[in-house]
Amino acid sequence: MREIRIALTGNPNVGKTTLFNALTGSRQHVGNWPGVTVEKKTGRVSHNGYEIEVVDLPGTYSLTAYSADEVVARDYILEERPDVVVQVVDATNLERNLYLTTQVAELGVPMVIALNMADMAEAQGDTIDLARLSEFLEIPVVRTVGTRGEGLDTLLEAAIKEAATSPHHEHTIGYGDDVEATIAMLADALSTDIDLARRYPLRWLAVKLLEGDENVLDKVRGGPALARVESILSSIDSDEYEAMMADKRYEAISAILPQVRKANVRNMSPSDMLDRVVTDRYLGIPIFLALMWGTFQLTFTVAAPFMTMIEAAVGWLAEFVAGSIEPAWLASFLGDGIIGGVGAVVVFLPNIFILFLILAFLEDSGYLARAAFIMDRPLYALGLPGKAFIPMLVGFGCNVPAIMATRSIEGEKDRLLTILVNPFMSCSARLPVYILLAGTFFPEQAGSVVFFLYVLGIAVAIASAKLFRSTILPGEVSPFVMEMPPYRIPTAITSLRHMWSRGSMYIRKAGSIILIGVLVVWALASFPLGVEYGSAESFAGMIGHLLEPLVAPLGFDWKVAVALIFGFIAKEIVVGSLGVLYGTGEETLSSALLADPGLSAAAALALMVFVLLYTPCVAAIGVIRQETGSWKWAGFSVAYGLVVAWLLAFVVGHSAGLFLGGI
Amino acid sequence: MSDTAKLVYGAALGALYLVAGALHILVAVVGPIPGLDALPLTGDPLAGFVMLVVGAVFAAGARNLARDAGEDAIFVSVGVLLSVGFGLVELLALSAAGLDAYLLGGGAGWSVAGLVSPLLYLAVFGAAGYLAWGRKFLRGLSAA
Amino acid sequence: MAGTCPLALLAPGTGGTVAELRAGKGMQTRLFGMGFCPDARVKVQCADRGSIIVSVGDARYALSRGMAMKILVREGIP
Repeated sequence: MREIRIALTGNPNVGKTTLFNALTGSRQHVGNWPGVTVEKKTGRVSHNGYEIEVVDLPGTYSLTAYSADEVVARDYILEERPDVVVQVVDATNLERNLYLTTQVAELGVPMVIALNMADMAEAQGDTIDLARLSEFLEIPVVRTVGTRGEGLDTLLEAAIKEAATSPHHEHTIGYGDDVEATIAMLADALSTDIDLARRYPLRWLAVKLLEGDENVLDKVRGGPALARVESILSSIDSDEYEAMMADKRYEAISAILPQVRKANVRNMSPSDMLDRVVTDRYLGIPIFLALMWGTFQLTFTVAAPFMTMIEAAVGWLAEFVAGSIEPAWLASFLGDGIIGGVGAVVVFLPNIFILFLILAFLEDSGYLARAAFIMDRPLYALGLPGKAFIPMLVGFGCNVPAIMATRSIEGEKDRLLTILVNPFMSCSARLPVYILLAGTFFPEQAGSVVFFLYVLGIAVAIASAKLFRSTILPGEVSPFVMEMPPYRIPTAITSLRHMWSRGSMYIRKAGSIILIGVLVVWALASFPLGVEYGSAESFAGMIGHLLEPLVAPLGFDWKVAVALIFGFIAKEIVVGSLGVLYGTGEETLSSALLADPGLSAAAALALMVFVLLYTPCVAAIGVIRQETGSWKWAGFSVAYGLVVAWLLAFVVGHSAGLFLGGI
Repeated sequence: MSDTAKLVYGAALGALYLVAGALHILVAVVGPIPGLDALPLTGDPLAGFVMLVVGAVFAAGARNLARDAGEDAIFVSVGVLLSVGFGLVELLALSAAGLDAYLLGGGAGWSVAGLVSPLLYLAVFGAAGYLAWGRKFLRGLSAA
Repeated sequence: MAGTCPLALLAPGTGGTVAELRAGKGMQTRLFGMGFCPDARVKVQCADRGSIIVSVGDARYALSRGMAMKILVREGIP
């Protein structure tokens, strides 16, 4: 006759007591756990030559130290070391039950799962694949129906087999690099307490300490490890850690569940049902992408006629001023400088306002919050919070309101990260540069080239986010919280007002800074007195020549260097500046560019890449400084952008040069 | 409309959108398909993707109804909204392109025939579904 | 602690009233601000992703599971 001891654990109301009664029949003993008024039930059963003692632990949801039940349950498992822990799992409620499983598994004891109430789950139309569940958890799973006594023999056999298996295989959950590093540090500190280390698994102690478990901290108190443990703990926010670690446990569970269970859906309100569709596991992201396609389709097509009209009006006005005002320098100042410069910005108003109108519509309808919810997963993997995606979208219109939109992100690091990668989202001001260059040098593939640039911008944003996360802004994304507004049919008035609040930011912020910038550009291109506007002898030309060696490896000459400097004020100015520098209007610029032997097709591609990535415009820099509260980050953003732009333009230009015959 | 009618409707529109989307992408990849010239396929792969998504939503709705998963045809209803929504997007986009062509004075690359794009004419079927029960669904939604 | 359960563990479609918040000062204030105060009625709407969607009174939030573990709920009373 061999003896083994089984502890029954599980959530409350999972049929644990029924199963216990069915197992042990009348051979039960009821008492109290020492020191607490929690009922202790033990019973005995013989099976296949084994005398088995069954201990019914109190029902708990987790093994933290929040209640006496939880402390009793875990102390028993840790200190009395039963041969096997059998967790009774409610098959109709797998998520919450498996959460406890992850915690018990961490205690490092042999385990068996009794999938109880399996009949009820089946009656509800759920199907659970036991073999796969067992495979994923690396824990034997037995189907039981306590009320009818089904599966008891199989359960006992599995328990006996598991008790005999040694050494026991440990199951742990990976908590992510950051947390794991802290766990390792804590475990190392704890290993100096030999008495403690002999009684408890070090990793488990470390995990509990990180979760702010007072009960475990008490165990450490008085031991030699206390000082080091406390200094490690004081350096972290245990609240955040606890939430983050719980998230990781759920992540592990939710990765398994859909593969082992097909759940049935029960009746819901229309709004909840709509949530089911737009947050659907498979269709959620495709629906989101399709809606984004619609958004950009509308933005670019509907804006086109308005842009045509504005362009015509600005052109007419500039010509009128140039032709009718004396003296010539004033006409140049007003025509080339103010009207030309401001006009270059105003042309994008339709684009920006239509994009913002559609985003306002989606936001007011309640959809955008759901989109943030479904994007939380993929963005989280990139080190960005789910909410970062709204600023990213707005960034396709203009980075200024986009950076201001990051205010809804709570974590300071999360927000800073979102701000820093935002300028890589290709704003609409960059589009005319692409249209000119791609249209001129790649007329057949212009659409694909422009698409490639947008994708490149997103890729650089993602890569930068990853890079910053692992270097200057280390840490995990804060736990996700976001209000889900009720679905509504947006009214035209509210959406228009919403659009205006973002769009006017562009006008005010960009308008004032760009006006000043335009004046500076005009002055640089016009002085010293007497030079031809924007010629090599002007200050602008001198600066261009000065900088030429820096950009020469990219295949750019001094004219491009000057245009890029002007583009610092607003990127669309690059086009106008090239027009001035080549001494043509914007209409004939295309042929002038093609005729220039100094600018190859590969260099044009490099130039587009450079314009996409190099330093945010003045308005964006101003808003970065305002939102981060320091020039440091604004300066960093400029420097980082320049370096990335130079490197990628070099790589893209020279790779393209291989196919297109030299840069 | 009964659930059976919605099932048939969802399955039919799902099939239409999926086929149209697949053809679009095919045309974009391999070029014009002989024998299909009569069909107005623009060959825009992204529009093809959108049609696949709408089709998948309809198909999922039909499947759920067939299985009686107790979702009250929600996927079909969303499919209707998407179908009508993208139809409107296409209509606006094409009208704007026409206006732009008119302003530029040429009208090159734009014709009335271009108005017959799959996203647009398939939306007519979507609009029928919208009139049949989609409005009621939308009202129920904002009331909730 | 009979009858209370972390919000994160409720099945979709079920709910109850908030019994207690087990969070540090900062997070507690924040949760209070969102309407998770004692006796507020909560209901889990959707729980098949990393985060869950919960309604509190008339408001609806997406909450990471970790945060939802800190909210203890008395079950029942949908």
